[in-house]
Amino acid sequence: MTDVSERIQCKWCRGQSPASATTCERCGAPLDSRNVVTDAGWRQAPKIRDLTTVQVGASTYQLDGTVVPVAEADLGAGESAFFEHHAMLWKDFTVAMTVRDTPGGANRILAGMPFVLSEAHGAGRVSFSRDAPGELIILPIDPGVELDAREHAMLVASGNLSYTYEKVQGLKAILSAGTGMYLDRFVAQEATGLLVLHGYGNVLERTLGEGETIQVEPGGFLYKDAAVTMAISTISLKPEGANAGGQAVKGIATRGFAALKAARQLSKGGDLGNSLQTAAGAFTGSNSMALMLLTGPGRVGIQSMYFPHETA
Amino acid sequence: MTDTTEASATAYRCPFCRTTSAGTDANCPTCGAPVDIKLRTTTSGWTEIPPVADMAKIQLGQTSCQISGRLVPVAEFALAAGDSVYFPHSSMLWQEEAVKLDSMSMRKGWTRMRAGLPLIMLTASGPGRIAFSHDTAGEMIAVPLQPGQAVDVRENQMVVASSEVTYDWVDSGVWFTTMGDGRGGSGGNDQSSGMKLLKMGLDVAGAPGGDAGRDQRQEIEYHYPLGQYLDRFSATDKPGAIFVQSGGNSFMRDLAEGEQIMVKPPALLYKDTSVGLQMHVEFPHAGMKLWRSWGNRYLWLRLWGPGRVALQSSYDRLEDPGTDFREACRYTQQAW
Repeated sequence: MTDVSERIQCKWCRGQSPASATTCERCGAPLDSRNVVTDAGWRQAPKIRDLTTVQVGASTYQLDGTVVPVAEADLGAGESAFFEHHAMLWKDFTVAMTVRDTPGGANRILAGMPFVLSEAHGAGRVSFSRDAPGELIILPIDPGVELDAREHAMLVASGNLSYTYEKVQGLKAILSAGTGMYLDRFVAQEATGLLVLHGYGNVLERTLGEGETIQVEPGGFLYKDAAVTMAISTISLKPEGANAGGQAVKGIATRGFAALKAARQLSKGGDLGNSLQTAAGAFTGSNSMALMLLTGPGRVGIQSMYFPHETA
Repeated sequence: MTDTTEASATAYRCPFCRTTSAGTDANCPTCGAPVDIKLRTTTSGWTEIPPVADMAKIQLGQTSCQISGRLVPVAEFALAAGDSVYFPHSSMLWQEEAVKLDSMSMRKGWTRMRAGLPLIMLTASGPGRIAFSHDTAGEMIAVPLQPGQAVDVRENQMVVASSEVTYDWVDSGVWFTTMGDGRGGSGGNDQSSGMKLLKMGLDVAGAPGGDAGRDQRQEIEYHYPLGQYLDRFSATDKPGAIFVQSGGNSFMRDLAEGEQIMVKPPALLYKDTSVGLQMHVEFPHAGMKLWRSWGNRYLWLRLWGPGRVALQSSYDRLEDPGTDFREACRYTQQAW
């Protein structure tokens, strides 16, 4: 018998749901609200309604809260979800826990990345949140699709996704990009998987056409399709004419100060990554600014709140 | 026949930015506040400043600004050719390649560096699009300035300003010193275990940076409850606007001539330059002196009119060691 029921397409994930549905079955986006797009083409992440539920295999994921939202997974028997352990909020006593080895080994420790990811196994409930105001976005990943996310942005991923990493190439990128050394890469193998990301503040997405570019502050980057290429573009900041000499001297002084600041951070027990970025500021100098140059085709997601990398 | 054009253009006076417009749009064209909003004023007189509505547009000459988002809003500028804005580099989110970035010359660089202010401001020149946001959950507030008007903004609250507005900074005049214990303000409880191991290693090796070599002598500590400086923005011959980010919600009130109010120093968002300020110290009544505890004294900012005062509801915690002042700015005090 032919299915003749009407289907409507979600503007966010392009998935189809029955015409009677008010939220997308795949990503939870409201189907009866407008697509909010700025003049420049950035689309606001869908305002997922409180307590929206999404089904993946035998598991369901429900989002709860609006300021610091919680993702609650009800894992089916034999299914799992993986995550960074500090994102876990609570779980049923019966949910078994294992660790999932990550590629990269000791290099990941140096980059401040988790050496292992935690994995929870159904049947049972487990929930996750991050310690900052922001938005959760649900990204269904179909077989063959590859998606790169900022390190630590993953809140939880369904266990059927494979996880690897993409190394940010070049020392300059590592020091000035502010994204650390790796991007998380998620790939679906045989069945559609689910990735829940947390973006600080508000999340916006834009689809770049073939060869279309955008320069993004590295701290604001959240995710991209693997087809979108990433490079670091350095913008030379020319001082204004009348005071050019003074600015040049100031630039040199600033580099010295940044180097001292990095050393001080380290000696006072500061975060190694921050100290490295501050040191990077010392070497890249105040008369240039490093931005992430993203080239299409594909989706690019950004977050509006971030802790900027050191440029001054 | 009566010409109604002029009358309609000045039919609506925005209660927040005080500029007049036709009032026919959903939002005030200069600050983005909703036109049809009912003022939400507490019984004590604080009026909620409505954040710029999601997707609302603000026109600045040929340049337009669109605000997007609710938790940490983004200000997206479509800069016209010849128009420019300036900003601390930390507030930039993205830009088109066509936008030209330059550094803006700043005076007293060393002083700014020591005060924790951005040493270099950047300018972005059109044509092209560029967007800004602040790393604080709260509200984006547009403060339009008419020629001759100026406001003082708490440091590091500014997101972006149009080039018609001049930028300067003035001493906050709110400070005191205490005798510290040479350990600095932050202690060391937040160190990672790896860093502790590294410092233990440094101690064993006798290298600088370890805990064993830390200077235990008393030293003078400077405290700036309001920050060392206030950012001052002025419009001279052309109208302009600045965009500030409040932590949490923001509130405003008009102080009459000589009217006073006490506020927590870090809660100040901006004020008219006509509003005076001074540190005020209160000593609560207690049977015994609670030396070096939070109950020893309260630090306030005493503000007096005339003029507008705006506050934010989420702000940095005010650190006060509780020890006696060694030196201080001029302040008033009250012992209960």
